[in-house]
Amino acid sequence: MKTLFRKIPKWILILIGLAIFGVFRAPVEDDLRTNLVSDGILLPPPAKDALGQLNQSALMGTLGGLRTLVSSYLVLEAFDHFSLKEWEELRSDYKVITTLEPRDENHWRDVVWHIGINATANMEVDESIPQFERMRRFNEYAVAAVELAEEGLEQNPDSAVIRLQLAEVYRGKLNDPCETARVYGEMIGLRDSPGYVERFHGYFLAACPGKEREAYEHLIKLYRESENNHVASLIINIKDLEKKLGIPFALRIPEDYPPLPGRAKGASKQENTDGIPDFTEPPGK
Amino acid sequence: MSDEAITPRAPGKKVPFFSLTRVWTIATSTVTQLVRMKTFYFLLAFALLLLLVGNVSFASSPAQALSTLKKVSFGAIDLFAWLFAIVATALLIPRDIEDRTLYTILSKPVRRGEYLLGKLAGVLVVIGVSLLVMFVICSVMIIWKQAGYMADEQAGGGRPEDIQAALSLISKNGFRIELLAAVYGSFLKASVVAAVTILLSTFASSSLFTIIISILVFLVGHAHSMATDYWLRETDSSMAVQMLLKVFKIIIPNFQLFSFSEGIVAGAAVAPAVLAQMTGLTAGYLVVFLFLSLITFVDKEF
Repeated sequence: MKTLFRKIPKWILILIGLAIFGVFRAPVEDDLRTNLVSDGILLPPPAKDALGQLNQSALMGTLGGLRTLVSSYLVLEAFDHFSLKEWEELRSDYKVITTLEPRDENHWRDVVWHIGINATANMEVDESIPQFERMRRFNEYAVAAVELAEEGLEQNPDSAVIRLQLAEVYRGKLNDPCETARVYGEMIGLRDSPGYVERFHGYFLAACPGKEREAYEHLIKLYRESENNHVASLIINIKDLEKKLGIPFALRIPEDYPPLPGRAKGASKQENTDGIPDFTEPPGK
Repeated sequence: MSDEAITPRAPGKKVPFFSLTRVWTIATSTVTQLVRMKTFYFLLAFALLLLLVGNVSFASSPAQALSTLKKVSFGAIDLFAWLFAIVATALLIPRDIEDRTLYTILSKPVRRGEYLLGKLAGVLVVIGVSLLVMFVICSVMIIWKQAGYMADEQAGGGRPEDIQAALSLISKNGFRIELLAAVYGSFLKASVVAAVTILLSTFASSSLFTIIISILVFLVGHAHSMATDYWLRETDSSMAVQMLLKVFKIIIPNFQLFSFSEGIVAGAAVAPAVLAQMTGLTAGYLVVFLFLSLITFVDKEF
């Protein structure tokens, strides 16, 4: 037996040993992998199209288990594109970054901020591009930002930071108070949500046609809940809604319109043409 | 010369089959050997890298800055761990042959299995100590930056609940004790890599060969589960393809499984049971690969 053992080449014995061990460990590893991926401890494999966009060294890094390093490097590269206003390159960098690390809400928030706020702002001011092209790209970037945010929310359903950025796009770029209100509404009660989201939900609901009653009920509830909520914007919104909805005087809040920068005491709030409340705009402008 | 002058030698003591003391002696000498190779100088480069990343202001928010700092530092820790495991393990046996230390060791009552185990333990001790030092450096840096961001946030003013939300976001991306589990994950991965390398170095002809093949095995081991998914999706999944994939799967270790530190750094919580399972799997790899190394090494002539 010993002689036979010695006659067999060592590499064959090693291969047999590896195979026997492999047969036992493979099912254990498969179970572990499934559990680790579902618990979010192990990152799922990157999508095929993301791998196709990686250059050779980044691909090696990714395959070598250095996904976080590769994505950090790509964040730096994307920042460089941001500095140079290369929005398409930035977008494709973030496509890879978010595919490599889909559960990092910061990446989603950043890409929505870059595309939805910075790229659209650049289209508003960059006069080197023809007007019609700027408008086309402005809309394209704003819509792309919304899509990216939704994609990010699919991966991180409880993320307040992505929603906060999405609300900024709806509010500042798409001038959609109804969607803004919806997003702020979704943020209520989420961990990491700023304290103002409840009030903002009400403000934008007030600006959404047909939702005034709901907005009034929400805001008046906040008003009654705590004196800490008696901020100028809340009072202005409630007073405007009281007028609009014809709330009986006996049920109206006692406060007068508070003074705001550039606006006389008692003056009603102004709205811009899009229906978005603009508290910084002086009255009569 | 009279017969009385010759004193018969006392019979030699029976050498025990396995001695932890002998293994430990070899391990400590391996640690000394690696320290003399100035391996700990890497820590200086690591600290510099952290200082650089910590002070580059490209991030859009404090949370993003902390997240990047964590990812780069823990990515560097992971990279160091497996690369060091390959290079150090690949160099040790050839170095002992070159220095003729191996002949001295093996001429003593030291079993070859003990020698291999001692060498592996020595490498793992150095990796463990390095990882702990890197973890401390990295934690100090993260805590320092986190405290700075929190102080800025508090000084910035605003409503208490908004400040609280901002602070909570910073804390979420800052230091957590679970990060120690991420370092442990890197240690487990490095242990398996070292065990694979020691197997390769027992029959390799040169250190360079061992290093290259080990890196290749590592990359394949990292990518094969990913590649398997794509291959099965893209091809007709014929019997031949499936057999080939299964062969890969059972021969090459699955290193991707050991990359769970990435998830912990990203914020996932890890249960102690998972760490226990991973430790058990690593122990299995170490035992099997050491045993297979011994098959080659046991009657190798130098």
